[in-house]
Amino acid sequence: MARITAGVGSSHVPLLGVAVDQGKWQDDYFGPIFAGYEWTREWERQQKPDVVILVYNDHASAFDASIIPTFAIGCGEKYKPADEGWGPRQVPDVEGHPDLAWHIAQSLILDDFDMTIINEMDVDHGLTVPLSMMFGQPEAWPCKVVPLAVNVVTYPVPSGNRCWALGEAIARAVESFPEDLNVQIWGTGGMSHQLQGPRAGLLNREWDNRFLDLLEADDDAVRFIPHIEYLRETGSEGIEMVMWLIMRGALGQRVKRLHRHYHIPCSNTAIGHIVLEPSA
Amino acid sequence: MTNASPRQNIHEYLAELEDIPGTRVFTAARARKGYWINQFAMSLMKAENRERFKEDERAYMDEWAISEEAKAALLARDYNALLDLGGNVYFLAKLFSTDGLPFAEAVSTMTDMSWPEYRQMMLDGGRSPEGNRSIKGGY
Repeated sequence: MARITAGVGSSHVPLLGVAVDQGKWQDDYFGPIFAGYEWTREWERQQKPDVVILVYNDHASAFDASIIPTFAIGCGEKYKPADEGWGPRQVPDVEGHPDLAWHIAQSLILDDFDMTIINEMDVDHGLTVPLSMMFGQPEAWPCKVVPLAVNVVTYPVPSGNRCWALGEAIARAVESFPEDLNVQIWGTGGMSHQLQGPRAGLLNREWDNRFLDLLEADDDAVRFIPHIEYLRETGSEGIEMVMWLIMRGALGQRVKRLHRHYHIPCSNTAIGHIVLEPSA
Repeated sequence: MTNASPRQNIHEYLAELEDIPGTRVFTAARARKGYWINQFAMSLMKAENRERFKEDERAYMDEWAISEEAKAALLARDYNALLDLGGNVYFLAKLFSTDGLPFAEAVSTMTDMSWPEYRQMMLDGGRSPEGNRSIKGGY
């Protein structure tokens, strides 16, 4: 039987991909960021997940304005890194897990989550940067990936409550997959940042850390934070943090925190990540 | 952190989104208004389109259903004006990269700071939310 063994929440700032690709990860600017991920890279080497369900958002790479799926699941065999205007990142292609992905897609639809199915797409920094942060620079990514793309760009984006509930449904779907698989779920994006308008550059260390506290908590209060609070407190792009709630919802009521890291700044953004496992 | 009511009135929801200083939330209304600005920007993901645009920006934009006001804002790289016209930063970013402009530097042009000042603000911990949360509330 497949099981979700752990969850990771992490920023996916594109500049981190640039730092990895250009070997800048030990310099004064990036050093403290990558040091925070060192524990997690070692942990991932030991955990050896078979599959990661990777919750992220597309940044006008695979999807243009013509079609805006709220929740979309990648059921394809393989995904190539997208060209985001600077040429595609020189990272391995991402291998899918169509059997598990289609099982999750079917289960979710029967569980009242009307998913969009994607068979072909390129994946942008939202998906490849977390892989680089967790796995470094391997010849091939050490696990298969089920991409789960969330609209967090065009409003209304899904509520935190709905994201949490989707995570719960994903956990049920994974548990009913007959093959013995070690599955992790990652929620990516955030933390506080605003990339537009005169208020650009807003960061909120205090709020971000309270959000991390709530993710560790034994209750589900975090799912009820309204959009307006993310927008006011964490900037217009801080809303990406609702994607972390899909991860958290999939882990059950109680979790154990294994690692947590926070750093300001990376480009326009506050960087954070947290590693959680389900707890009885 | 406060609890959202499970079924918020849509008009109240949308009104709140307009109450954030210096911010244009990408609502459905903006997405509709800026549709062709964003689709035009998206076209710059293709190298051959970037070349054609760079060769004659005006002629390339004339192929799209974009208003004169938006064309002027695009030519001037006036990103705040483009946000008002329904442009979205992830789409407009295709123009940043066409210009070879790093993302954060392009973002800084929407603020009242120079790029070095903006970069220093980020190194110093970023812009404080204090006084920047609500227009009406002033907090």
